[in-house]
Amino acid sequence: MMLRQAAKKALGTTSRQSTPWPVGISRFYHENVIDHYDNPRNVGSFDKNDPSVGTGLVGAPACGDVMKLQIKVDEKTGQIVDARFKTFGCGSAIASSSVATEWVKGKAMEDVLTIKNTEIAKHLSLPPVKLHCSMLAEDAIKAAVKDYKEKRVKTNGTAAAAGETTQA
Amino acid sequence: YTTISLEPKASSDPVMKKTKTLVASISTLYRRTYPSTSPCNPLATIASIRSQTQLPRESLQHYSSAEALARRLRCSGRVFSSDSGAGKRVSGCWNCGEKAAFLFCESCRSIQPVDDSVDYFQIFGLEKKYEIEPGSLEGKYKDWQKKLHPDLVHNKSQKERDYAAEQSAKVTEACRTLTKRLSRAMYIMKLSGINVNEEETITDPTLLMEIMELREAISEADGSEALNQIQSQVQEKLKQWSDSFVEAFESQRFDEAVKCIQRMTYYERACEEIVKKL
Repeated sequence: MMLRQAAKKALGTTSRQSTPWPVGISRFYHENVIDHYDNPRNVGSFDKNDPSVGTGLVGAPACGDVMKLQIKVDEKTGQIVDARFKTFGCGSAIASSSVATEWVKGKAMEDVLTIKNTEIAKHLSLPPVKLHCSMLAEDAIKAAVKDYKEKRVKTNGTAAAAGETTQA
Repeated sequence: YTTISLEPKASSDPVMKKTKTLVASISTLYRRTYPSTSPCNPLATIASIRSQTQLPRESLQHYSSAEALARRLRCSGRVFSSDSGAGKRVSGCWNCGEKAAFLFCESCRSIQPVDDSVDYFQIFGLEKKYEIEPGSLEGKYKDWQKKLHPDLVHNKSQKERDYAAEQSAKVTEACRTLTKRLSRAMYIMKLSGINVNEEETITDPTLLMEIMELREAISEADGSEALNQIQSQVQEKLKQWSDSFVEAFESQRFDEAVKCIQRMTYYERACEEIVKKL
């Protein structure tokens, strides 16, 4: 606990000093990150072709990470009832996507679009160098919602067309 | 210009030394953003910037504003070509004044301070292009280290020992960067003013799907035979995309070149995972 505070202090003051990062202090993972890494929740996949599933597939080419986040939506209420993720990347990326799946569950689709990477980063106490991992998670959520909406448009479109042809 | 000497007193003061490193980086940035107006003598640039910045904090601000400027110019899509060997120091050896002192002065055998305008290709006497002969680095590397390594300069001045440490480190870094295909590709893009490592998210479904499946295959692979098979497939892909990179880069299709590098990064990461499992 004290070491972590010391590390945070070092993080805070390094930018103002001209001395480099002290060699003795190694990078710390916040206990939330370790928790998500050791006990990952919601790892897995839904059937991509299921109409109630939205799939967000994003990547960070700079570090070679890929993240897949899927949501299962209740078609009547527009609420996300379940979520799954699969991430290949560093501990921070895995934890960020795990947190994302937890936070989207039980929320309306429009609500989850307001989840910001800064909130995820704060929850995990991510260091500046790992902020892009939380950004990736935010992008994954948005991609999943977008995919679901596009699928709905497609199915609604075909259903309407089918309705017209039967009437005619 | 008048050349203002910075060395003797500066290197003893650690704060001044940091400032010197910072302003050396600033001068590199300035030279890259304003290639036409850059003075050929980096020391004069350093001196002119130094005279304006007294505190380390100020030089940090200068650094960030120069960096921001460079980034804005990069984002506007302009490409700068670096100096083609014209970056060599004009002032000559600090010890004996010999003109042609590149990293190391042959006539008085003294090590020269690091010149940031010298790029890694110049150190190994190679043309500034992506393809290099496989064995062209190692021999030259050993030759340089025989002249520059800090272990060889115990009885020389503190100043020269510092030069040795910096030059030797630079040569090592140069060798490491140029040896691996991916880092060489990124370096040569950097020399052309294109920064590849932007922290952007990509959503290309074909690429991401492929990588997802690849990584899944690796994590599910049981036994070294399966892993080796995957590894050879990935190596093949790396070679293929490496060739695409050369083509794109030389035709100045830099967006495509960036995509090639991104793919190569993903394949390299996959290789690392395989190696870890093996």
